[in-house]
Amino acid sequence: MVAGRKDEEWLLFELPVTDYMEAWNLQRALVAGIVCGRIHHNVILSLQHSSVFTLGRSSGRESLRVSENVLEKSGIPLVQTERGGSITFHGPGQLVVYPIINLEAFGIRVGEYVYRLEEAMIRTAADWNISAERNRLNAGVWVGRNKLGSVGLTIRHGISFHGLALNISNSLQAFSWINPCGLNGVGVTSIERELSRDVSFHTARRHMMRHIEEVFDVRLVRTDMAELQNVLDGSPSKGACVTVSGGGKR
Amino acid sequence: MKQISELNLPDDIRYSEDHEWARREGDAVRVGISDYAQDQLGDITFVGLPNVGDSFNQKEEFGTVESTKAVSELFMPVGGEVLAVNEALVESPGLVNEDPYGAGWILLVKSHNPDEMNSLMTKDDYVKRLKGTE
Repeated sequence: MVAGRKDEEWLLFELPVTDYMEAWNLQRALVAGIVCGRIHHNVILSLQHSSVFTLGRSSGRESLRVSENVLEKSGIPLVQTERGGSITFHGPGQLVVYPIINLEAFGIRVGEYVYRLEEAMIRTAADWNISAERNRLNAGVWVGRNKLGSVGLTIRHGISFHGLALNISNSLQAFSWINPCGLNGVGVTSIERELSRDVSFHTARRHMMRHIEEVFDVRLVRTDMAELQNVLDGSPSKGACVTVSGGGKR
Repeated sequence: MKQISELNLPDDIRYSEDHEWARREGDAVRVGISDYAQDQLGDITFVGLPNVGDSFNQKEEFGTVESTKAVSELFMPVGGEVLAVNEALVESPGLVNEDPYGAGWILLVKSHNPDEMNSLMTKDDYVKRLKGTE
């Protein structure tokens, strides 16, 4: 089982700043489409979220350092998700990548998959001569004791969804309200903070997509939103899919 | 990743599409995940167990196994009421990796419908299914 073949194409959808729930529903619809055989490609969603805190499946509110009252006043929602990992923050200027990948068919183990997602982030940081690295303490990528990028995944019927988030030009202020990844005494950083200058989000995204192609040895085919709708609708001749899992209730 | 020939796949149990296994034990059915599944996931750090007394249909989600930053959902190979869960996995989730068909079992269920066992794959069917994804 050799993972990755240069001729394998994954569909790439670049979305604008997207509400968390909208992107989450889209991911789950894509997973359901792959599971029931209506979608035959792996898919990459690349986007930024409007500000949101998210909790992992088995993480609770103990990693919140402010009261829910403060949170409510801020207008930043807190969403309980089904992904791995603990609490995190997403906001504009952070590059979020959700690969919807049939790991089983691709022939890659979960640990190796996480390793390659981290590798894509490390190489993206290296494009600005930032030396990011893995840390045994916690998955994701770090610059010293500061976290630059995170990984959190769910695997449903062999399909992985959720993905990675790399801090490019986003505000880091909201991270001070939480213990990122449930860890105490660690900081966060971004590409901009490391360089002390402005960085183009779109350049970062371009670099990241190239590195995803390298580390998985696949070709990303940029596809527009109308096509995404077609993918989700599927071929009418094949009829409706039966949703196999009870996802979406969490 | 283990080759299919290296996998430990007992022939006295049945397998589901989602890599759970089911073994008939008197009136009850013991449930766990296959050697393929534990190898695919890597070091398991947490097992999310249901409560004793919970009831699930066949193919319904009943719990999770978590490895490095990844939560993998578990689905019932047969429907039934949970008679027991493997409490040892709370302290030692790695048992699922070390001994997936023995000390790493996950649930004991009282099956709703004994015929559901027959809908699961035999070892030979399961090996064919695994080869299909190669």
